[in-house]
Amino acid sequence: MDKITVTINGKACQGNRNDTILNIAAANGIVIPTLCHHYNVKRYGACGICVVEAENSPKLMRACSTVATDGAVYYTESERVVKVRKIALELLMSDHEGDCKGPCSLNCPAGTDCQGYVKAIAQGDNRHAVEIIKEKIPLPASIGRVCPHPCETACRRAHVEEPISIAFLKYYAADKVLASNSPVLPKPKPASGKTVGIIGGGPGGLTAAYFLALAGHAVTVYDAMPQMGGMLRYGIPEYRLPKSVLDKEIAEIRSAGVKMENNIKIGTDITLAQLRDRHDAVVVAIGAWKNMGLGCEGEDLDGVMGGIEFLRKIALGLPTGIGKSVAVVGGGNTAMDACRTAVRAGAEKVYVIYRRTRDEMPAEDIEIDEATEEGVVFKFLTNPDCIIGENGKVTKVRLQVMELGEPDASGRRSPVPVEGEFETLSVDSVICAIGQKVNVSGFEELELNKRGIISADERTFATSLPGVFAVGDATNRGASIAIAAIGEANKAAMVIDGYLCGMDIPYRKPYVSERDTDDIDFTRFEKSARVKMPVRPAQQRKHDFKEVNLGFSDADAVAEAKRCLECGCHDYKDCKLIKYANMYELDPDRFAGEKHTCYVERKLEVIERNQGKCILCNLCVRECREVAGKGILGLVDRGFKTVIRPEFRDSSVISGCADCLACVDACPTGALKFIGNKK
Amino acid sequence: MKNCKCSHQTSDLSLISNVLDEYKNKPGSLITVLQKAQEIYGYLPTDVIYHIAQEMDTTPAEVMGVATFYTQFRLKPVGKYLIMLCQGTACHVNGSERIESAICQRLGISDGDTTDDGMFSLKNVACLGCCSLSPVMMINGETYGSLTPQKAIEIIDGIYAKEAGK
Amino acid sequence: MRIVVGEGSCGIAAGAHKVYEAVEKLNSGIELGITGCIGMCFLEPIVDIYDREELVLRLVRVKESDAQTIVQAVKSGDLTQLSGLAITEDDKSFLDKQTRIALRNCGIIDPTDIDQYINAGGYKALEKVLSMTPQAVIDEIKVSGLAGRGGAGFPTWFKWNAARESNGEPKYLICNADEGDPGAFMDRAVIESDPHNLIEGMLIGAYAIGAAEMVVYVRAEYPLAIVRLEKAIEQARAKGYLGKNILGTGFCCDMRIKAGAGAFVCGEETALIESLEGKRGMPRLKPPFPAQCGYNDQPSNINNVETFANVAWIIQNGGEKFAAMGTKDSKGTKVFALTGKIKRGGLVEVPMGMTIRDIIYDIGGGIRGDRKCKAVQLGGPSGGCVPYDKFDTVIDYKALAATGAIMGSGGMVVMDDTTCMVGMAKFFLDFTAKESCGKCVHCRIGTKRLLEILDRITKGEGKDGDIELLEELCDGVKSGALCGLGQTAPNPVLSTIRYFRDEYEAHIKEKRCPVGECRDLLTYTIEKEKCRGCTLCAKKCPVNAISGQVKAPHEIDRDVCIKCGQCVTLCRFGAITVR
Repeated sequence: MDKITVTINGKACQGNRNDTILNIAAANGIVIPTLCHHYNVKRYGACGICVVEAENSPKLMRACSTVATDGAVYYTESERVVKVRKIALELLMSDHEGDCKGPCSLNCPAGTDCQGYVKAIAQGDNRHAVEIIKEKIPLPASIGRVCPHPCETACRRAHVEEPISIAFLKYYAADKVLASNSPVLPKPKPASGKTVGIIGGGPGGLTAAYFLALAGHAVTVYDAMPQMGGMLRYGIPEYRLPKSVLDKEIAEIRSAGVKMENNIKIGTDITLAQLRDRHDAVVVAIGAWKNMGLGCEGEDLDGVMGGIEFLRKIALGLPTGIGKSVAVVGGGNTAMDACRTAVRAGAEKVYVIYRRTRDEMPAEDIEIDEATEEGVVFKFLTNPDCIIGENGKVTKVRLQVMELGEPDASGRRSPVPVEGEFETLSVDSVICAIGQKVNVSGFEELELNKRGIISADERTFATSLPGVFAVGDATNRGASIAIAAIGEANKAAMVIDGYLCGMDIPYRKPYVSERDTDDIDFTRFEKSARVKMPVRPAQQRKHDFKEVNLGFSDADAVAEAKRCLECGCHDYKDCKLIKYANMYELDPDRFAGEKHTCYVERKLEVIERNQGKCILCNLCVRECREVAGKGILGLVDRGFKTVIRPEFRDSSVISGCADCLACVDACPTGALKFIGNKK
Repeated sequence: MKNCKCSHQTSDLSLISNVLDEYKNKPGSLITVLQKAQEIYGYLPTDVIYHIAQEMDTTPAEVMGVATFYTQFRLKPVGKYLIMLCQGTACHVNGSERIESAICQRLGISDGDTTDDGMFSLKNVACLGCCSLSPVMMINGETYGSLTPQKAIEIIDGIYAKEAGK
Repeated sequence: MRIVVGEGSCGIAAGAHKVYEAVEKLNSGIELGITGCIGMCFLEPIVDIYDREELVLRLVRVKESDAQTIVQAVKSGDLTQLSGLAITEDDKSFLDKQTRIALRNCGIIDPTDIDQYINAGGYKALEKVLSMTPQAVIDEIKVSGLAGRGGAGFPTWFKWNAARESNGEPKYLICNADEGDPGAFMDRAVIESDPHNLIEGMLIGAYAIGAAEMVVYVRAEYPLAIVRLEKAIEQARAKGYLGKNILGTGFCCDMRIKAGAGAFVCGEETALIESLEGKRGMPRLKPPFPAQCGYNDQPSNINNVETFANVAWIIQNGGEKFAAMGTKDSKGTKVFALTGKIKRGGLVEVPMGMTIRDIIYDIGGGIRGDRKCKAVQLGGPSGGCVPYDKFDTVIDYKALAATGAIMGSGGMVVMDDTTCMVGMAKFFLDFTAKESCGKCVHCRIGTKRLLEILDRITKGEGKDGDIELLEELCDGVKSGALCGLGQTAPNPVLSTIRYFRDEYEAHIKEKRCPVGECRDLLTYTIEKEKCRGCTLCAKKCPVNAISGQVKAPHEIDRDVCIKCGQCVTLCRFGAITVR
């Protein structure tokens, strides 16, 4: 055939005469994005994404349909091209009504594909569920037990009745796979020859270790404690997370090729400088292990201790000296862990001192309920005024009575003292669970922020020292939940992998399309109650450290998983629109305006169509007409109002659909969905 | 495909058989057929669209696409009086927007709608070509020029009065 | 003597046919005829009195009730009785500065009578052409410098030549009479007033490119034009000018009419072709151009009505004579539809090279109410505005383009100091957004978003940066849209921003419409002190928003008020304020 030569982006490209710029570019390895072009239908030219610039031509041309001219010079990513392409994408996104990902996934600090694994569980495929979870979380059984699940907070099922029990489903699936003795373990990439030292074997450090090991790097985790797990082991009580479960999951991480060294404290056993010499990169994931003090009189007395200090002693089997009557100060999950552990450690009277009311408590409801069942007494609207002792040992705590005043910046009503009103409790010990700090000794070389916490770049996780990265509780905003550290570690692992390969690719939050929950009509969903997690009776469980939760049965798990509304788009991974939207940094909000509604119709037998995600590329119509030879799809109306209709009112015409799925296959977004499986 | 299960309307399809006979073998005459059908039925009933698709050897989707693309075609019956309000440039400059507000307010409908009593339909049209009489409206072929909001209302009230007197 | 009533659409709308019927009813025995549009729309209905071929008196703004007087006067031969109806000398000057080529027969001959066209020299050019070679015809058109009058101004000979050289049979010659610019009506006037001129021009084109079939795509809203053209086609066929073996030369060419169904985008040639094929009028990709692959995938040539209306004249008088008129780059004449805030609105045909000022002030007589002129809009929704201080710009494709406007199809809308330019841009975008076919993203969503931004600006909800956002989006739509509609849709926005940025800023920053036109930024209030309680406003309010006792101050219910301004016009005490 007759050949021509054109120059594309400075590269000489050969092609057939009468071939389009797009095809010649593709044949020469240059990808020009397009949404409305498909090889098996006639050229159309609607989307305007494939525009390219030709030298000496004032007009941009559509590469999908413009026949290349011999000797012409084309640019596919020039400034002008990118500008026009970007505006097309922004305009499309400004008229896009759909969720790329469910709110669960978006609200998960680790970005776990909750909808994906919940669906796998609903289909009885627990192994696949764990595969999905382990793309983000290497400790699913542990995290499923302890996570305060921001996913469930965001879950839209709450607008129907109650959110999906996402965390427990994770724990259910992970337990199933653990019990199978056939772990989900992706094959690590070939060895890169690079080594990484990770300081801290908590959830953040272990996650970074796992993903860096899978990326082919030689990873060693150094931890100051006798065993790995960090706060999961030494901060979370056994009755919530059995050590046996944690041990198995850590063993899986080890089997990914991670070396683990315990009882190594930085500054004492080895210095940061030495580790930097030893490794190509160092990750600081040391957590926040120092207790915040109460700052009141008597806090130095014998019998006053920190919450995590108390929990750690229990975990290590050390004596705690809490006595029979214990006051726990604080309203968070650590306070709950401390009070319930105190009950199990033999305390007869356990109080929780909290300055606000139950409504303001940051701890999870279930924890408060279970603590109450176990006999813990809550002293709301009180605050330690001073701790009174005899012979250097705590005997009493005097409480200032509080009331709620005006809301503060965070919106919570701040407690104010009621002048002159006090209450005194007789106690043997006071456990302060009011917050944690970072112990930075051994890391003096690193730059700290104003709060004395390690500074790390939010997108590169880099510290002030080259090659040293930091994640988790020890950085920036300080102590948070385990999944937040895991999320950071996961992203950091990608950045560090790039760094080790000589590339500087900061983490960028992917752009996604999101629906406004207020626009959704939830009344059309049938109600179906959330499956309750069965627990051991309070009177039995309060006497031992055995796990409180009994776990879901298979039927429970499937029933619960089936409640998922599947908010996220089925096509997210293959969607060309979102792929391009992420290639060009978009700001579609600047064109925010009227949108097509998220109208879903199922007029065709096996195809569901979502109006909100349609970009009117007309591929389905053209496939139906040109490939299937049916012509049952068509455009209706014109201008902005234009929509595609799967036939109109006559059922006999709709049944003309041959279920060939040519339209679904060609759809560049998630507007068309094959629903044959559901029947 | 012969037995249409369309139960929404029952138009007398024989009325267009002559038109279809004349045009069905002439490629590209769909728009003409729809124009003739609208002349006959006053609008394009769904069953007629379906029938045309069958006879013209095309698909209802195709016919529907054409029928909804052009502003001339109506898928719903119009009122006894069709007000075509000119929205051409000259009329705009001379205040057609105010005329539209007044008419809409008086009749309680907006562009493209028909009053509940079936008396009036309002349709904004691009340009009636009487620019020097702007602002202009046409009711059932009769042109009314140099309108003011008040004059427009008086014209409508006049028609109502005439109808009431019948 | 002969009475001739001007029966163009415009005249009929003003009551011309009622006048005709009234005269006819009198059964006076006086010869009664019709003619098309002379272009003086502001004087309609117009009745001309002829003595043989000479126009002896032109009566203007004639009413049905004047019929008796006219008939009597003509019968008696004493036309002085009609001086009250006669056109003023001043108004006569409307025609003085014009040069009429395309419109040469309009308002003079009876468009329903082919003999009148022939008597005026019609079909002579066709006879001449049939003895020439097609190449010689194209050469003559090339000499004339005739360029497409539909908007883009592409050289006519070039298109004809491309179609002629293109392989494939049959070839089609198509006339674009889908005049969509909401403010231009010259194509309609030509078809209604001189249909044979169009037929002859098209036949010459068909002969030149070798087409055997001609189609006129007429806008659906032009029923009278369709009727007159149908009749003209029949007459031409009967006389052997159309059909097989035309004038015995062996040249075969027939013509048919296709009525559009209402879509501005069908003025775009590839959309027009889709529509001719009975489909949704969605533009095709170019290339291939219609000259290679057009109607029914055959070589096709498309010109608009005004272009064809010049052809017979050029052949008859020679291309040189045509080229002698105008400027270096723009030859011949151009017809404009002069409307808006103008004293003498109508159709005018002027030689290229005349200034905008001359058209507006000398021909159009200046601004209605002698207000201050602000700008003219040229080229309708695809064009732009030319501000008053640029009125010395001459009519020339390049000179107009340099101002940011375009020649366009000839809509010339005059705006005075009461016209809000942001509102004007919004009006055009509302039009293009509604008329967008919906195919390409840039146009479908882009025009919609432009309209939304303009809308919020006129509602006082504009944000800082909106002007820049408009400019960026305009730029994107121009570059990315598939067809001419989308590529030119941003022009009204860009040109109003260019010349009237301060008006945009006043809306955005001060939430104020400088000319007080944007209704959402206005409130109507009756000043208690000034109101005398005459009840006039309450009686005349079209929506009954005003209430009050006689001789007591009235009040406006703002929830009901549609801000039509009627009350302000009516109030004799200046009691109603608008802010």
